[in-house]
Amino acid sequence: MFVSLNWIKDFVPLKGKINPLELSELITIRTAEVEGYKDLAESFNNMVVGKIKSIKPHPDADRLTITQTDIGGVSNQIVCGADNIYEGMYVPVALPGAKVKWHGEGDLVELKSAKLRGVQSDGMLCAGEEIGLGKKDNGIYDFKGLNVKEGMPLAKVFKKDDIVFEIDNKSLTHRPDLWGHYGMAREIAAITGNEFKKLEPKVKIPKTGDSPNIEVKDYDLCPRYCGLIIKNIKVESSPKWMQDRLLAVGYRPISNIVDVTNYVMAELGQPLHAFDKNFIKGGIIVRRANKNEEITTLDGQKRKLDTNMLVIADHEKAVAIAGIMGGENSEINDETTEIIIESANFNPESIRKSSVRLGLRTEAVQRFEKSLDPNLAELAIKRTAELILQLCPTAKIAGPITDKKRVTLEEPIITLDSDTVSSKLGVPISVKQCADILRSLEFKVVKKSETKLQVTVPSFRATKDIDIEDDLVEEIVRLYGYENIKPTLPSLPIEAPMENTERTRKHHARDLLSYGFGLSEIYNYSFYGQDEIEKCLMNEKGHILLENHLSQDQTHLRTTLVPNLLKNVVSNLRYNLSLKFYEIGRTYKEIGEFFPLEEKWIGGVVVKKSESFYETKSIAVEFLKEFSKYKVEVKQVKNVLPYAHPSRCADLIVRGTAVGTIFEVHPQVLKNFDIEAKVSMFEINFSKLAGILEPLVKYEKLPKFQGLDIDISVVVDLQKTVAEVEKEIRKADKNLIKRVKLFDIYKGEHIEKGKKAFAFRVLLQADDKTLTDEEMSAIQKKIFHNMEKIGGTIRGK
Amino acid sequence: MKVQLLSLKKACLNAIKEVETLRSLQEVEVKYIGRKGELTSILRGVKDLPDKQKPIIGKLSNKVKNELETAFKVKIVELETAELNKKLKDDNFDITVPGPDNNLGHIHPLSQVQRKVENIFGSMGFTVMDGPEVESEYYNFEGLNIPSWHPARDMQDTFFIKGKKDKKHGRMVLRTHTSPVQVRTMEKFGPPLRVIVPGRTFRYEATDASHDTTFYQVEGFMIDKDISIAHLKGVLAQFLSRLFEKDVKVRIRPGYFPFVEPGLEVDFSCLICGGKGCRVCKHTGWVEFMGAGMIHENVLKAGGIDPKKWQGWAFGFGLTRLVMMRHAIDDIRLLLGGDLRFINQF
Repeated sequence: MFVSLNWIKDFVPLKGKINPLELSELITIRTAEVEGYKDLAESFNNMVVGKIKSIKPHPDADRLTITQTDIGGVSNQIVCGADNIYEGMYVPVALPGAKVKWHGEGDLVELKSAKLRGVQSDGMLCAGEEIGLGKKDNGIYDFKGLNVKEGMPLAKVFKKDDIVFEIDNKSLTHRPDLWGHYGMAREIAAITGNEFKKLEPKVKIPKTGDSPNIEVKDYDLCPRYCGLIIKNIKVESSPKWMQDRLLAVGYRPISNIVDVTNYVMAELGQPLHAFDKNFIKGGIIVRRANKNEEITTLDGQKRKLDTNMLVIADHEKAVAIAGIMGGENSEINDETTEIIIESANFNPESIRKSSVRLGLRTEAVQRFEKSLDPNLAELAIKRTAELILQLCPTAKIAGPITDKKRVTLEEPIITLDSDTVSSKLGVPISVKQCADILRSLEFKVVKKSETKLQVTVPSFRATKDIDIEDDLVEEIVRLYGYENIKPTLPSLPIEAPMENTERTRKHHARDLLSYGFGLSEIYNYSFYGQDEIEKCLMNEKGHILLENHLSQDQTHLRTTLVPNLLKNVVSNLRYNLSLKFYEIGRTYKEIGEFFPLEEKWIGGVVVKKSESFYETKSIAVEFLKEFSKYKVEVKQVKNVLPYAHPSRCADLIVRGTAVGTIFEVHPQVLKNFDIEAKVSMFEINFSKLAGILEPLVKYEKLPKFQGLDIDISVVVDLQKTVAEVEKEIRKADKNLIKRVKLFDIYKGEHIEKGKKAFAFRVLLQADDKTLTDEEMSAIQKKIFHNMEKIGGTIRGK
Repeated sequence: MKVQLLSLKKACLNAIKEVETLRSLQEVEVKYIGRKGELTSILRGVKDLPDKQKPIIGKLSNKVKNELETAFKVKIVELETAELNKKLKDDNFDITVPGPDNNLGHIHPLSQVQRKVENIFGSMGFTVMDGPEVESEYYNFEGLNIPSWHPARDMQDTFFIKGKKDKKHGRMVLRTHTSPVQVRTMEKFGPPLRVIVPGRTFRYEATDASHDTTFYQVEGFMIDKDISIAHLKGVLAQFLSRLFEKDVKVRIRPGYFPFVEPGLEVDFSCLICGGKGCRVCKHTGWVEFMGAGMIHENVLKAGGIDPKKWQGWAFGFGLTRLVMMRHAIDDIRLLLGGDLRFINQF
């Protein structure tokens, strides 16, 4: 919302030169955020009226002249190229530092003193279009016939001496009283310690005569409706002073009648409407719209209404959507001579809902939806009448105001305890300070005891803003000034805070994955779409769907991190052929209850040109081992995930709990995503994992006696797994075989077809002695025997 | 013979002095004191000397031998050192050859800053709390004093979940702020409370460089017997000076949030221009940072806390915004864009 300082001054006697920056900051820290301000005079900075005293030809340029101009007792030399100038002409002079548009085109350029063809020139004589006045006179602007004097600032000549503040509408959400200059002035008076001049329209409303016939059918939606007839109107342009003010705060002048309604809205915050009485048949009815009723609004749009919307109608048709926009059928036009002024109060919720449903947000809606003071309707209609009579001397008020209302206009009373105020602010505030502040804001205050005040809330603050004691605390603290409260630290017992173990462990997991295993952390959105579900061969079942969504890939809440991680693979493969990354995020699953199941998962990805499963496995297993401090088992999967290669996947088991899976991505899924690399992933249910509390590590005694590694190379059938063979090796001696480690797998020409060779390094070690050669070769023999038992052949035996 | 020995010594020392390589030193050694060297051949003559002279010459010859051996040792060390120095110098070792890949991963900047925030508040006795991201209208709105007709629901453009409705809870939404965790925590633990809630939040709004459907917030609140706005200022000052590790000016002004009363907004002096005014702070010198206020009595009541006995404040700020300011990130979409070229800078 725009606020004009000159307009404010109608109600607050602000004295002296006002520093707009300081006033902006004061309003911001006391009342509402000022987003900025514009000094309307600024565009005329360094511009004055000059009188041309002499014009002489330029010695070196035929088309230029050298002028001497009086700019208020000082003579200024300017080289000029225009040919409409004459001695004694009053002209606009832009001095160095002024910003002008060359020939009325392009950006503003700052003028500097310069030599033109060797002659000093300090400024410029301006054409209208060069200083934003529009084209007038062919060439330099001529003040002929205007009452100007040399040296007068142009801002003053054109009355551009206003400062316009822009207030953030969001910070006025709860303040219906601040949606006009009058309310803002009341605040500014309070925060600057000035008096506030109340508005008392000087208008005589006749006791008898014609008044509009008004019937309100729904007082819930329209608690108050005031109407007044004015006759002998002559529709024409409004005067310049009114146009200037309207333009300054962003309204386009239209005609005297429309301008007055806009002016009063900008002044008091009360939206008004003027109907051409000729088009109102039989009187005004305020009712809900009929089913499928239509109206063409002032913006020329045909709008379909529903029965929840309120309309203003005559006895034949709707003539306006109440509180939102007027209808074309009763619009003021050049021939209008008699009008009905409407000043009403509408239900804020209904206005807001209708406005949303119609997709029509107007200045009126913005105000009505904030809960306007019903008392304002009466003041506004009187002010409107006053201004119309002032602008249109022939006009006459036809009769009394019709005032239909069903509102209780009582002003609420709240008891305020200054001890509560002190306790909430954290600084001692006296009962007198409370009373003074509240009075400055037009609250009525009666002292009830040493600390207690009985506070009557004025109606313009009572509609929604203020109804409990804390609301008064807010009034006091903002006027007292937040900056005057000294920061203090609470003195509380130094209890150690409750620990959020899961959160702490999540950070630990990140450290391990990123700084231990070299994976980078990605964050993805919580949604994906039907397309991703299909590409991943998943089922839509179990998903939670959004009612409203912004794009097709954000329609379903994720039940797994995998689809979005695969999209990350696609986008990052463009820059890198091998990738390692992970995400820790939530999944959301429909489980037949009101609240869905939210779990935290870790999804990890390894992408390589060649096989990537085993690297993924080692990362997942080593991570789980280090994180949980338990042994990790890798087992045949119980349920194959739809996006996993059905024979290249395994469950990860910690302490008997399946906490995740590792898998190579299903080739069909890779194809669906157009991925050519080998992609393996792990999914770990972090919510489950974090619940397995890590045990305290108990140290194992270091071996006292030397052990010895022996190598075993065995050729087995291709179907045999490393785990099966390893198990047979270990069987040879459960105590003395301390470690079995695979170090090579060989398939190829040196081996029989259908076979492969494993090479293991086996550590033999006793806890109580050094093993003898005989003991060791006995174990070795046993191993050989076990290998042969499962169809293996020992190589190099 | 004595003369012979002394001249041998002199000749040998001279030869040692002139030698430049270990190899020629070895040749000199063989020549003078080797088994078939000159010293040996001189000493062969000792047996022909008169008995009286034998011990004298014997002593002298031993002395000459020792002296020469020492001289050789010294020279060896000298030459070895020179040789090593030469080797060290003419190494042709290229230190610019890159080492083998040792790629560390990178932690997302949101995680990093979140941890920092958690640590600072943790050290002041705040507990980190969590709540559901799919939340009921009750906790997201009504419980926070935002009734269905309230215009504040205009400001909160909300994602709704299909087909979920409950008598108490209303419809289901993606939480638009972390504030629902206030009421949930009050219900679960009761006062006194010192809590922060960092978490993911959602808004149904078109995305551009500064808006995204998904972003992160940090909620904080404190409830006790006598907690005041002065305490809010004190705790925030601690937090901000720790966070930015420099002096940051704070401005508090009135603000409107239905769940606090009084409600206020906290700005801090622009980190980019230091308050002089720049593009980032829209030439005001101030950057909007958080909404805060004394918890509204209706919210305390919703959480089962008696507002006559307990009071406190709450605040909320955008973690995403903080990360963007800290690292001069000009497009919010980078944060959830999954581009490793971005992540790996942190």
